Amino acid sequence: MLQPKNQNLRLTKYEYRLVFAKEGRARYISHLDLLRTFQRVFKRAGIPLWYTQGFNPHAYLMFPLALSLGIDSSVELLDIALTEQLPFDVLRDRVNDKMPEGLYIVSAGEPVMKHTEIAAAEYIIRLGCNCPPEEASEKLKCFLSQEKIEVEKRSKKKGVNLVDIKPHITLLSSACEDGKLVIGLRLPSGQEFNLNTNVVTDAFDAYAGGIIDTVYTRRTKILTKSGESFI
Amino acid sequence: MEEIKNKVEQLLLKTQKPARYIGGEHGSVIKDKTKVDVRFAFCFPDVYDVGMSHLGMKILYGLKNAVPNYWCERVFMPEKDFEALMRENNIPLYALESLDPIKDFDFIGFTLQYELSFTNVLEMLDLAGLPVYARDRKDLTPIVVGGGPCVCNPEPIADFFDLFILGEGEEVNLELMRLYEKMKPNNPTKTEFLREAAKIEGIYVPSFYDVAYNEDGTIAAITPNVPEAKPKIKKRVISDFDHAYYPDTFVVPFTSIVHDRVVVEVLRGCIRGCRFCQAGFIYRPFREKNIDTIAGEAKTLCEQTGYEEISLSSLSTSDHTKITELLTTLSDYTDGENINLSLPSLRIDTMSKEIVDRIAAVRKSGLTFAPEAGTQRLRDVINKNITEDEIMRTCRLAFSEGYQTVKLYFMLGLPDETDDDVAGIAELAEKVVDLYYQTPREQRGKSVQVSVSCATFVPKPFTPFEFEPQATPEQIKHKQGHLLDCIKSKKVKISYHQQNVSVLEGVLARGDRRLSEAIYCAWKKGCTLDSWDEHFRFDLWQEAFAECKTDTAFYANRRRSYDEIEPWSHLDYLVSHEFFVRENKKAHEAKTTRNCAEGCSGCGIKKECGGVYCG
Repeated sequence: MLQPKNQNLRLTKYEYRLVFAKEGRARYISHLDLLRTFQRVFKRAGIPLWYTQGFNPHAYLMFPLALSLGIDSSVELLDIALTEQLPFDVLRDRVNDKMPEGLYIVSAGEPVMKHTEIAAAEYIIRLGCNCPPEEASEKLKCFLSQEKIEVEKRSKKKGVNLVDIKPHITLLSSACEDGKLVIGLRLPSGQEFNLNTNVVTDAFDAYAGGIIDTVYTRRTKILTKSGESFI
Repeated sequence: MEEIKNKVEQLLLKTQKPARYIGGEHGSVIKDKTKVDVRFAFCFPDVYDVGMSHLGMKILYGLKNAVPNYWCERVFMPEKDFEALMRENNIPLYALESLDPIKDFDFIGFTLQYELSFTNVLEMLDLAGLPVYARDRKDLTPIVVGGGPCVCNPEPIADFFDLFILGEGEEVNLELMRLYEKMKPNNPTKTEFLREAAKIEGIYVPSFYDVAYNEDGTIAAITPNVPEAKPKIKKRVISDFDHAYYPDTFVVPFTSIVHDRVVVEVLRGCIRGCRFCQAGFIYRPFREKNIDTIAGEAKTLCEQTGYEEISLSSLSTSDHTKITELLTTLSDYTDGENINLSLPSLRIDTMSKEIVDRIAAVRKSGLTFAPEAGTQRLRDVINKNITEDEIMRTCRLAFSEGYQTVKLYFMLGLPDETDDDVAGIAELAEKVVDLYYQTPREQRGKSVQVSVSCATFVPKPFTPFEFEPQATPEQIKHKQGHLLDCIKSKKVKISYHQQNVSVLEGVLARGDRRLSEAIYCAWKKGCTLDSWDEHFRFDLWQEAFAECKTDTAFYANRRRSYDEIEPWSHLDYLVSHEFFVRENKKAHEAKTTRNCAEGCSGCGIKKECGGVYCG
């Protein structure tokens, strides 16, 4: 008779929340691939991961909030469980020693809040445009002062329908730097409602008549409903 | 680098699986360019997912990068979507480590694993911004080299390459790079360098040989045209295989690839001598690694890569002289580390209960066997020494362990194949189904599925069947129809390989230099990624053959006499021509030849090559 493979039952587990950065070449690692990448990093670093207790044991890893492909960040979250306790800085350094280019742990700690508390995220977006940045900035103002900003949203159940994203966009800053338009945005994130930056930039580009050549986006904060940093 | 990087980054989000085009994986080697003397672009002429799975590349990548002032980087064929974006935006083919254009490298090396990747070589040279014909690349660098199994008959693509490396690359690659490093300060011409290179054993410079043809189209003579070119070029063999270089880490990809695991090569060469199998002859002699070496390499690689699966690589793993001890040693390690051990390439006759249990402990997926032919007579013709009893014994064992799916691999169009042999495939498959129903209900699984997969036999150089005509598409069609008529059971599922692919493979495998024009023409018409069903354009290949007046039947469907000069006659893979002739005659008498472990059959390989059973 086939036995569960994980015979050494380890019921105690120690939970950790890691804050990590994903930059440079690593920004093209997809969400699914990121999971596999971290599993291998932990294996290389000899981190005693806690495995689920079934016929198909797998390491417990959980990303509370996905990051779109191609976006930089230094505030990404990863929850893991270990079979032994490790000091936070030891855990961080051992993992960083085995990371590929562009991925590193900023800090390790205990999980304090629940995933469901995540409500928003902030971004810095650098837009390279085929017009002077000042002109693009003016167009952005007009774009955001519209009464409604409707975008098509596809879903499996309802098909394609129009959604007004205007009430969800908060412009935090806008500046012209090195010939680029640099804007700060706060957008809803998390399980209830999620708005990706590219939906906003695409809508702006369509509104302005195709002025955007390049887009560099960086996530800078993950926030709760009350506006504090998620920890 | 920065320029390419910036351009590429703007395109990555428009393409499928962008992580394939940007590098940065764990284990990839980055060096300081100012401290590097020789740069080598290792090209796999297929997409990343396939190329990254290739063991030879992992070995040679590690080997070259272990030399501090050599830098070897990886290059793959882009998918059609990204290729179009690269061309639109004037991005030349670049290497994944430095993101530098490969046209500035010292060497561009292609590994030629299958004939259907030939057009990809042209595409990659063109994407790099280089002329595809060697004669049009006048400068010393980049020197375009080719290696891998297809180099045993490189003639159809000889005009595109500066030189070829015959046989195993672990020593000769470094010898070639050392020669270049030594000569480079004196600014030699390309010809001066190639003449020195031709002195190295295993190096074949095609432009140093003239080929003359008879009126009937066969070859009259292959003649060296410089003193350095040897009349026969010998392949290279690593005689001390146990101590051969093996990498201590792999490049670990972010995206999933075809073989995404630790691979340890346990043995090289094959003792079996199946007459259709090119690998079985060109990788001779049979050499193996010690158990401690294998276990050490497996452990190091798992620790360095973080992979949780090990696969043992070889032509026939169960032929390792200490297979049971090897599996015990390895599973002692893997069981404690949550690592899966997979064992491809097992032979039916050697499948002991212990091995079946070992596989079952990992995952009860399915068993795959390759009887290759439907009747004992035809299995004797091809020297696949498996009896029906052995197949049944193993399947009985498998069914009583709860296995539910059995895959059977066969070939159609084998020499001397009759309709009875084809009907034999159906009979064998149905006997396996019957066996399931004879297994006690409490032991067997819920249901049974026997999948029969039929490839078309393609005669290859350096095999006893190199003289044989390939079956024509009409003959194969008849055989397929006959097989379908013979199948009664609903539990048997039949599948075929695409017929046109085999036709093209057959022409390219035994072609000569005159084919280069047709390959060029097909590529110009847009043929690339030919091994992918969705990209394969047989109609364009047919147009190319017609325009170049290529008689495909001359290459594929003609019986060749034993004394004909073959396009590959000046290449020596150490197994003698006399042996192939002897084996071919025995095949037509349906007589088998014993394997190397049972006794030497005199294939011509010398004892000095390090074969376990030689001498």
